[in-house]
Amino acid sequence: MSKTINLTLKVWRQKGPEDKGHFETYEAKDISTDLSFLEMLDLVNEKITLEGKDPIAFDNDCREGICGMCGAMVNGIAHGPQKATTLCQLHMRHFEDGEIVVIEPWRARPFKIIKDLVVDRSPFDKIIQSGGYISVNTGSAPEANTIPVPAQKAELAMDAAACIGCGACVAACPNASAMLFVGAKISHLALLPQGRPEAAKRALSMLRKMDELGFGNCSNETECEAVCPKEISITNIARFNREYLKASFGSSEK
Amino acid sequence: MELDSRVPGGPLETKWERHCFELKLVSPANKRKFQIIVVGTGLAGASASATLAELGYNVKVFCIQDSPRRAHSIAAQGGINAAKNYAGDGDSIWRLFYDTIKGGDFRAREANVYRLAQISNNIIDQCVAQGVPFAREYGGLLANRSFGGAQVSRTFYARGQTGQQLLLGAYSAMMRQVSAGRIKVFPRREMLDLVVINGRARGVVTRNLITGAMESHAAHAVILATGGYGNAYYLSTNGMNSNVSAIWKAYKKGAFFANPSFVQIHPTCIPVHGTYQSKLTLMSESLRNDGRVWVPKKPGDKRPPEQIPEDERDYYLERKYPSFGNLVPRDVASRNAKEQCDAGKGVGPTGYAVYLDLRDAIQRDGEEVIRKKYGNLFQMYERITGENPYKTPMMIYPAVHYVMGGLWVDYDLMSTIAGLFVLGEANFSDHGANRLGASALMQGLADGYFIIPYTIGGYLAGTELPAVSEDHPAFLDSQKQAQETTRKLLSINGKRTVNDFHRELGHILWEYCGMTRNDEGMRKAKELIPELREQFWQNVIVPGSSEDFNQSLEKAGRVADFLEFAELLVEDALSRRESCGCHFNEAFQTKDHEALRNDEIGCYVAAWSYNGPGGKPSLHKEPLVFENVELVTRSYK
Amino acid sequence: MNWFIRAFSSSIGKKQIMAVTGLAFCLFVTFHLLGNLTVYAGRDSFLSYVKHLHSWQWLVTAAEWILLFFAVLHISIGLLLFFENLRARPVRYAVKKSAGGRTIGSATEPYTGLLILGFIVVHLLKFRFVDKTGTNDFVILSHTFSHWGWVLFYIVGVIIVAVHISHGLWSGFQTLGVNHPKYMPFIRRFGTVLSFVIGAGFASIPVLIIFTR
Ligand SMILES: Cc1cc2nc3c(=O)[nH]c(=O)nc-3n(C[C@H](O)[C@H](O)[C@H](O)COP(=O)(O)OP(=O)(O)OC[C@H]3O[C@@H](n4cnc5c(N)ncnc54)[C@H](O)[C@@H]3O)c2cc1C
Ligand code: FES
Repeated sequence: MSKTINLTLKVWRQKGPEDKGHFETYEAKDISTDLSFLEMLDLVNEKITLEGKDPIAFDNDCREGICGMCGAMVNGIAHGPQKATTLCQLHMRHFEDGEIVVIEPWRARPFKIIKDLVVDRSPFDKIIQSGGYISVNTGSAPEANTIPVPAQKAELAMDAAACIGCGACVAACPNASAMLFVGAKISHLALLPQGRPEAAKRALSMLRKMDELGFGNCSNETECEAVCPKEISITNIARFNREYLKASFGSSEK
Repeated sequence: MELDSRVPGGPLETKWERHCFELKLVSPANKRKFQIIVVGTGLAGASASATLAELGYNVKVFCIQDSPRRAHSIAAQGGINAAKNYAGDGDSIWRLFYDTIKGGDFRAREANVYRLAQISNNIIDQCVAQGVPFAREYGGLLANRSFGGAQVSRTFYARGQTGQQLLLGAYSAMMRQVSAGRIKVFPRREMLDLVVINGRARGVVTRNLITGAMESHAAHAVILATGGYGNAYYLSTNGMNSNVSAIWKAYKKGAFFANPSFVQIHPTCIPVHGTYQSKLTLMSESLRNDGRVWVPKKPGDKRPPEQIPEDERDYYLERKYPSFGNLVPRDVASRNAKEQCDAGKGVGPTGYAVYLDLRDAIQRDGEEVIRKKYGNLFQMYERITGENPYKTPMMIYPAVHYVMGGLWVDYDLMSTIAGLFVLGEANFSDHGANRLGASALMQGLADGYFIIPYTIGGYLAGTELPAVSEDHPAFLDSQKQAQETTRKLLSINGKRTVNDFHRELGHILWEYCGMTRNDEGMRKAKELIPELREQFWQNVIVPGSSEDFNQSLEKAGRVADFLEFAELLVEDALSRRESCGCHFNEAFQTKDHEALRNDEIGCYVAAWSYNGPGGKPSLHKEPLVFENVELVTRSYK
Repeated sequence: MNWFIRAFSSSIGKKQIMAVTGLAFCLFVTFHLLGNLTVYAGRDSFLSYVKHLHSWQWLVTAAEWILLFFAVLHISIGLLLFFENLRARPVRYAVKKSAGGRTIGSATEPYTGLLILGFIVVHLLKFRFVDKTGTNDFVILSHTFSHWGWVLFYIVGVIIVAVHISHGLWSGFQTLGVNHPKYMPFIRRFGTVLSFVIGAGFASIPVLIIFTR
């Protein structure tokens, strides 16, 4: 069951967006394997704090794998070695005693580094603002059961909607593309009858926003799917491609 | 001060409708002249901002996280209630109302709860129209499940991610208004003070968490939807950034704090494993639909669960509550788990855990069926504990989860400060002394989508609000004070970390004002908390500066507020001379160790007002009058 | 901007051009291979295939122009995408590992693409833009592949083509939105098989020639 291990951490430290940044080495001693990765960092930070130095900044909130706030590259893999797991849910029992662990922030042009491992993911919000919604004002909704949705479609929509917007897909993509994130949102709404009226407009405007923000181009490397903590499938990217074709050539949207 | 709940008269069923009619309206052309501040982007804040912007108001929204979509509502798993009666099992608005008010052990306002039940159906309509992918039957219609102690199937759900899906719905509605130019979002901002001018809430002072800059924002009305303060206990199922600070600052500016000691302790969480644990994880209550809770009959039995034969297991909930069995309400389930562990029958390395066993369900329905229902929960359990719940029973223990207490609000959701409205978990309104499963999501969305848009209009239309600008002395004062606090925190340079203090505070509250309480313990806590606070201000170490991204500083500010607030929490618990719902004072219990309510003296809302630093808070009682339901003893036997 | 141009200037639009042109090349290469395999039936059937093909001269010419046009598109847009992708991550990772998504084909796609360009230029200079008066295609073929150097060059060349196709084919379908739970596994397998067949098929010809000469 639980034991303790010692690790050497090489952590990216960067004071702010303008700073050049560098790796700093820390010894993490007597780490219980029951701890989560972030709890391990907490512990290291306590030590750094007591030494009067600046602790490692990292984003987190729910610590149960749903808010999408945490995330870093651990030994070159987004969210670390365990499949379908956010960094906050990764536990230290997946590490060996004496291991060297390299921790880096998400890197992509649209994700500016704020400090250390904290990056600015507001481009995701901007993409949603460009059309990731169904236009329905509060109060104008019809009775819920007037729109039946085949269970299977609802399941597929839910598969896509499970995205937590953590940005691991962008971080892991060799091209820093956001296609999995956008594809998931497009799919979620395109699969539901409620989302169809705006489907064409949405596909065009969300894609344009994504391009404008400077994300890379998908080349179907599927690294995104491999690191996604919610196991969002690249079939959602294909659906996005399809929706885009339909919108470009089969709709009157420009 | 006399508390006026402003509950309209007339029959329960038509109170809200009539009230809406009587509220003054703001004309469409005038709405755009009003600026409204919303702090918080959880279900309550997001739904309120979206709807207010749709109506034409200008809205500024603030949240701590980097995106509004990450508010802690995202973590809600189980579902949301509504009285649709799609299952045809005898549900109705009246039944949802009755269950909710009874579940709260008759410590909530009838009129509020009834309105909540009425609105519940509109919420589902709204969410479906937004594209929330609720679970469906094969025919394409919405599916329901029974949840959290209800005997009807009225819970709508989206796998184990209902909160996430509802929040993404509200967030997307909000994003739509951002692109329409009516909402301006300020993420990574923390509200440090509420600005009150001439007795009215007119703005907030915030800290930009990236640059450290203090910012002032003026408005015609302020809405707080800042969630719950369960993190006062250090370990809870809340997000790491959940705090009491926003509402605490409002309290210090004159808003009354209601029922601060009503803290819900959820029975099914993954047990604590060690000192450096940072939070507790909830295992959805839905597991209790198929799981059986047990402990070994013999105290100190350390055999692995598979080796404990059937007749040496005590399925204590089924034994004590034959009609509800494992589905008793949360407070009852939690207290019973504690009772078993205190009697030495707890399991696991710490002895503070009981089994939640799905063995029989797996045998009955097959692993596949169980995997489909609970697969993601089992996976989460395995990730955290490293144990396979298909093979060995899960271990669970109660944990702080939700707070029924919050700022006092009237029927219009306005606090005792005019123009300050409070929504969602941050207010105290609808859950009395215990919240039933799947009703917080309902309340947050009811507040945001369907109540505040009406009531805030009534306030704005009926109030003279002279223009104020951000260089008004009140803003400057608040900024100065906030800066002073920051400066102080950074200059102490002591020997103990913020987390260390927080852990100790949590320990005090959990031990002396947790699941079961007694006067002696609470008095002890009342001594320990000020001592700890004193030490904090002398010996805390907060590295870094106030002029950049400084998470230690953020945390220090929040813990400083918890250290003040905790005293009020204990004070409130001590002042309530009965047991009710979550509040279990050992002096008031039945022979079977059930909470003993005292309706003669206990039918009130405890609303506390601030009397300056060092002053004792004053208690104001809002009497609760029950005209439509009979006060019965909750029995789940 | 005209809607048509706009449609193709977005990231997906550009990739869809890559997909259509790429798939067209796959089709072309397949037919090219089928034709070349006539060499197994001997000199005469190979030459008769060449003759038949050129009896449709207008079609060959049209096809060549289309291929040229597609090549220009595929290469220029490919380069553009490549540089945009580099720009999308100005600071690289110090440590970066594959989480299991990438394949050799996908990771090397731009580079194999450039190598193929070089290969094709040589190939065209060798077999297409040569003076064929007084000789014929078979003679050129057997002459070229009498040298081990050329044999090796071609083997390496077609392996690179195969690697490129191993990712390109299914990727093209994916980009055009053809990803269906029932068909995608087949498409992916087909991509692997096709790349193997193309590689082995083309490579076998120089080998055949050098050994049977
Ligand atoms: C693990 C878990 C599971 C749950 N499951 C269910 C369930 O199944 N069904 C159910 O009905 N309920 C459930 N609940 C309860 C329910 O989720 C919450 O009560 C509800 O979502 C609270 O919503 P809210 O909008 O009030 O606040 P929150 O969602 O907590 O949002 C608070 C917002 O305020 C902001 N904020 C806080 N303080 C400040 C500050 N000082 N300055 C600026 N911004 C601030 C935050 O950034 C955030 O945006 C669950 C709760 C938890 C923790
Ligand atoms: S902290 Fe919320 S997903 Fe990791």
